[in-house]
Amino acid sequence: MKVSFSAILASFTSALAGVPVTLKIVAVSFLVAFVLGFLMAVVNKNRVPVLSQISKVFISFMRGTPIIVQIFLIYNSLPSLLNAVFVTFGVPIDIFDVDPIFYAIAVFALSETAILAEIFRAALNGVDNGQLEAAECVGLTIPQGYLHIILPQALASAVPVLGNAVTDLIKTTSLAFSMSILDVTGIAKIQGAASLDYIDAYLAVALIYLILVLIFENAFKLLERRLNAHTQPLNAPAR
Amino acid sequence: MLDTILSYIPKLLPYLSVTFEYVFFSLLFGSILAVLLVLMKLSTSRIARAIGYGYTTLMRCIPSLILLFLIFYGLPALLKSTMGINIQNANVIIFVIAAFTLFLGASLSEVIRSAYNGLDHGQYEAAVCVGLTNLQAFRRIMLPQIFYLMIPNLGNTVQYLIKEGSLGYIIGLVDVMGKAYLLNSNTLGAYVLQIYLALALIYWAISILVERVFALLERRFEVGYVVSPSYQHDDGKKATA
Repeated sequence: MKVSFSAILASFTSALAGVPVTLKIVAVSFLVAFVLGFLMAVVNKNRVPVLSQISKVFISFMRGTPIIVQIFLIYNSLPSLLNAVFVTFGVPIDIFDVDPIFYAIAVFALSETAILAEIFRAALNGVDNGQLEAAECVGLTIPQGYLHIILPQALASAVPVLGNAVTDLIKTTSLAFSMSILDVTGIAKIQGAASLDYIDAYLAVALIYLILVLIFENAFKLLERRLNAHTQPLNAPAR
Repeated sequence: MLDTILSYIPKLLPYLSVTFEYVFFSLLFGSILAVLLVLMKLSTSRIARAIGYGYTTLMRCIPSLILLFLIFYGLPALLKSTMGINIQNANVIIFVIAAFTLFLGASLSEVIRSAYNGLDHGQYEAAVCVGLTNLQAFRRIMLPQIFYLMIPNLGNTVQYLIKEGSLGYIIGLVDVMGKAYLLNSNTLGAYVLQIYLALALIYWAISILVERVFALLERRFEVGYVVSPSYQHDDGKKATA
């Protein structure tokens, strides 16, 4: 087996070009999932009829099936279905012209929604219900109560788990290559195929993911410490 | 539409045996590796601890897809250059099992370690005091409790493994996912939605089944064991979430 340092370095530098793509997919799908997941958790907590049943089935399905299967369902099946619908109703959009990154974001956002909905459900259960009632009593509307009173507390307790969700998402987005997206993995795959030097290409990619995940892990650790600063004793050493 | 979906389910189901095969062997070998890693992490040697924790961090950070590729391309080359063994034509399931063994070793070692740390170690000392040997105390007092504490995380790991293992199709494994991929190629993508919906239903059913089984296991083993109240299920801190 020949593993050459220079080949790894060369693959490393060219695969770095995929980092912004990977981060873009991670950021957008996480933000979308964050909002949808929180709404879903609120719906489930308040047992909103119909909606909570739908969201339960959705969460169970997304968590029970592999992401690669979801990719095949959304990326490989949805366009032709939509196209048929669009053609029938005369919508002037060429569905096959859409940038695959939208499909990637759709898939990862949907599966992440299910994960975040579960995280928020646990976090919301940790916040005393009386606080929302108190917020209502002092004149806040229910959305305001959620936004200003419940959400900050739920978030602070959920930060460690959210950190894990983000790092898992970074790793999961490596599947974007199957939607012909040139993220870190996609670039490495093409390079490996061109040079027939798969081992070096994937070693470089492994290194990139290692660095990315470690950066995010430590960032979330810092955030956790900051958000929990009020629980520290007053004379604790300054950070 | 529904008829087509249902007609694909019996075509896919037999290939579940391949899925269960790599799940079983990866869990088996992964557990052995995990026990070794736990021993390293709990050891007094700083080097052993560093290797144990370093390995776990490495595995936590690398996507399983990349690990799978590295094993698929790297393992044959490594074995050939070091020992002259040619596994170029070996069954691909070996690569899948090897990759997930390496991965599970790390994640299970954290599961075992957190369960072990959740135990009240006074019990062990008490057991030795009343006359049990060290081994007896471990086997009869500690091990059953470690197992009980591991059950929820073990359930997550099995579910994760079943889902992540579907990536084996990329290196040519014909498990239930691989079969769906082949069926889709053979029909030139005409039934892509139906085939993958059938596949999704199969995975969904298995996932619910596994969840139920582990919930039952947890209840079954709960009887008679008093768990140290300081222990909290460490649901987040590992790659099985």
